Amino acid sequence: MRPFVQRRFAGLILLIAALVALVFGHAQLAPSLRHMAALTGWALLAVCLFLTAYNARKKLPFLPLGNSRTWLQLHAYVGYFSVGLFMVHTGWRWPSGWFEGILAVLYTAVALSGVLGLFWSRVVPRRLTACGDEVVFERIPIVRRQLAERAEQLALDSVVSTQSAAIADFYNLHLAGYFVDPGSLWQHWVGTHRTARRLLDKLEDLQRFLNADQKKVLDELVLLVRRKDSIDEQHALQLSLRLWLFVHIPLTYSLLVFTAFHIVLVFGFSAGVGTK
Amino acid sequence: MDDTILKGERPGRWDSPLDPGFVEADLDRLLGIAPFREMNPESFPRRQPLRAILQNDCRIRRFQRGELIVRAGDFGSSAFMILGGSVRVVLPPGLPDEVLGRRAPGRKSLFKIVAQLWNNHRHPEVRTPEELGSKTGNLVGEGAEARVFLQDVPRLIEQNKTVTVGAGEFFGEIAALSRMPRTATILADTDDTELLEIRWQGLRDLLKYDPTLRAHIDALYRKNTLSNALRSFPLFQHLNEEQLQRVAAQTQFGTFGDYDWSGDYKKLAQSGSNAPERETPIAQEGDYPDGVVFVRSGFARLTKRFANGQRTLNYLGAGRSFGLREIAHNWRHPDRTVPFQASLRVIGYTHTLFVPTHVMEEIVLPGAPASALPEPMPANVETAEEVDPLHEQGGFAERIGPELMEFLTSRRFFNGTATMVINLDRCTRCDDCVRACASTHDNNPRFLRHGPISSGIQVAQACMHCVDPVCMIGCPTGAIHRDASGGNVVINQSTCIGCTSCANNCPYEAIRMVEARNERGGFVIDAEMRPIVKATKCDLCLDQYGGPACERACPHDALTRMDLTHLDRLAQWLER
Repeated sequence: MRPFVQRRFAGLILLIAALVALVFGHAQLAPSLRHMAALTGWALLAVCLFLTAYNARKKLPFLPLGNSRTWLQLHAYVGYFSVGLFMVHTGWRWPSGWFEGILAVLYTAVALSGVLGLFWSRVVPRRLTACGDEVVFERIPIVRRQLAERAEQLALDSVVSTQSAAIADFYNLHLAGYFVDPGSLWQHWVGTHRTARRLLDKLEDLQRFLNADQKKVLDELVLLVRRKDSIDEQHALQLSLRLWLFVHIPLTYSLLVFTAFHIVLVFGFSAGVGTK
Repeated sequence: MDDTILKGERPGRWDSPLDPGFVEADLDRLLGIAPFREMNPESFPRRQPLRAILQNDCRIRRFQRGELIVRAGDFGSSAFMILGGSVRVVLPPGLPDEVLGRRAPGRKSLFKIVAQLWNNHRHPEVRTPEELGSKTGNLVGEGAEARVFLQDVPRLIEQNKTVTVGAGEFFGEIAALSRMPRTATILADTDDTELLEIRWQGLRDLLKYDPTLRAHIDALYRKNTLSNALRSFPLFQHLNEEQLQRVAAQTQFGTFGDYDWSGDYKKLAQSGSNAPERETPIAQEGDYPDGVVFVRSGFARLTKRFANGQRTLNYLGAGRSFGLREIAHNWRHPDRTVPFQASLRVIGYTHTLFVPTHVMEEIVLPGAPASALPEPMPANVETAEEVDPLHEQGGFAERIGPELMEFLTSRRFFNGTATMVINLDRCTRCDDCVRACASTHDNNPRFLRHGPISSGIQVAQACMHCVDPVCMIGCPTGAIHRDASGGNVVINQSTCIGCTSCANNCPYEAIRMVEARNERGGFVIDAEMRPIVKATKCDLCLDQYGGPACERACPHDALTRMDLTHLDRLAQWLER
């Protein structure tokens, strides 16, 4: 068995064991423990704080706080476990009050964004590698501009070199906007490449009207369209990997703030309960 | 249309003489003293006459008392002959690192690690006053020509074991020829000590055409180095002293390829002239195995015929051998002998020891422990018409893929002992590695997450801590050196004078020059209003706990620092 599969297998077994222990333990202890909700609540808070601590670990790489990969593994499995803890804490039902409702929505959003982010960060790297021509995210606008300038130059030069405006007209009509536009994020996230495909079809169709010199120019334009499509795809995918954290992390901090209010409210409204 | 082809001058062997100011009078003087006086000019070919070798590959240098000539542990491409005065050789354990301008090894204390939370500078590349000044004795001159004088020489001499060497003696020839680190620190013992510096190419040619000098250097090598070199190979460790001396007496050593491979390896790679077929063969597949080749330094490529070319099976670095399997097989089965099963070719530069077959059969193999011997050859090796080359040599070519093997070899990545390898199928391009590096190194990352890619594996532009660290050749102050604790290549900021020789030498573009700033973020300038620059590179976070920050910061197990001199770990890493 490959080490990664082994690790995943071991993690899943442990997670299932922990969840089973949680559910059974809760079922056994709930009738006899008066403050079970408080106990699971504090446990959930501790788990949430631990999950949030991963972000702090990332910010302090020079402190000997362990490897990020171990933290991520723990983050993922403890995160899954927290779902079980949340269900137990809420009594397997959606909260009825508006404040608790918001809290539950926030928790669900954080958990879902985490799971989706993990899935996305496992899928996207392979797609990025398949793009080829690896470009660092910050350099993408520069490469895009270079491609646009090259395409424009080719179209302009073709008027003189081929004694025809066919390619320049085509460029003005179909390509100029394409090279300037950053492209549809959605298309690249789902991987349809529709815009580029249509342009390539149009370029192929144009080819039958051109002579040998014009075809040479067209061939280079085809390459530029393909390269632009690849750059757009890299941009969309790399952006998505950054964007999901901009969802997950603010939601996490919002959740912590609401949790703090939740604790205050719980203690406020429980004053005197059980003291009589 | 003008179709005239402009024919340029082909670059010549001596386009860049070591000393353009080398005058005829100096040359005549050299030819009047031993050993050059005894050399027969007739034994040199017309295209490489003795006078031209001396004129182009030599220079006369003068040192003052206490001036450092070579440092133990440094790499150098020149040998020296004492023309006048004397030098002092510091015997082991040698001078302390600090005296030689090196960084004292050691980690930060736990308190200092935590104190980085509030002590780290807000601006990039801030240097303390200590890091801006030179702590290596007195520095004279600028740039690559800077010279270092040790302070309080009488005390240093008194506290260390030293010997004095006088006129007519050679030193540094073994380090220059075998590309091994200098074994001793040598400083000028008298004022106006006059040395003849001979660069490697010249020394090689002198040895080639002059039997007397060759015999002299050969004797020195056998006396000082060969026995220890043989002892470093497990196969010879069971031999007693007498047996080892018999082996040493019949061992031949050779140097192949171009010592200066690093300077133009990228050009070679682009032109395709580094294809295995064009590399100098050391031993050829199908030939009678006349001896075992032991790689002492540098690298060699193991190839096997495939279609009309040569396919790389593995690369061999220092400590590896070629031909042992065949010779052991023939020794065990004299009735079923086999020729060399693969070829050995030079990549860049290779220094080898060659032990003839009869010596192996008579002295080495009979008592060799089974653990030091290679695996037996397959039973059908003599009859098999076509053996799949990918399955041979540990199957590395098969496990990591022939494309990746060729990629690592042609780009010389086997040189790295801590190469930054990124699995792009797992890397989310989050740049946590880059940020972690910047956080631990003056707010400026010491590498670029950028570099060549093959089979989804990227080798980033980070210092690889090479086996053959060409960056260390020519550092005038010894600021770039191997760390005493782990052998990693590090730069002492206090003694770096920003001459750029290391950055220019590094073939992997892993060293960057930065402009130093003060604590307020302003650039530090010298008296002539020029910015103070320092060389920076990855130091593997030697002063931090837990290993390189980049590796520790990767959440997805995509980045690792790997010793690529052996392919075991890479294969395992890829097979996760």
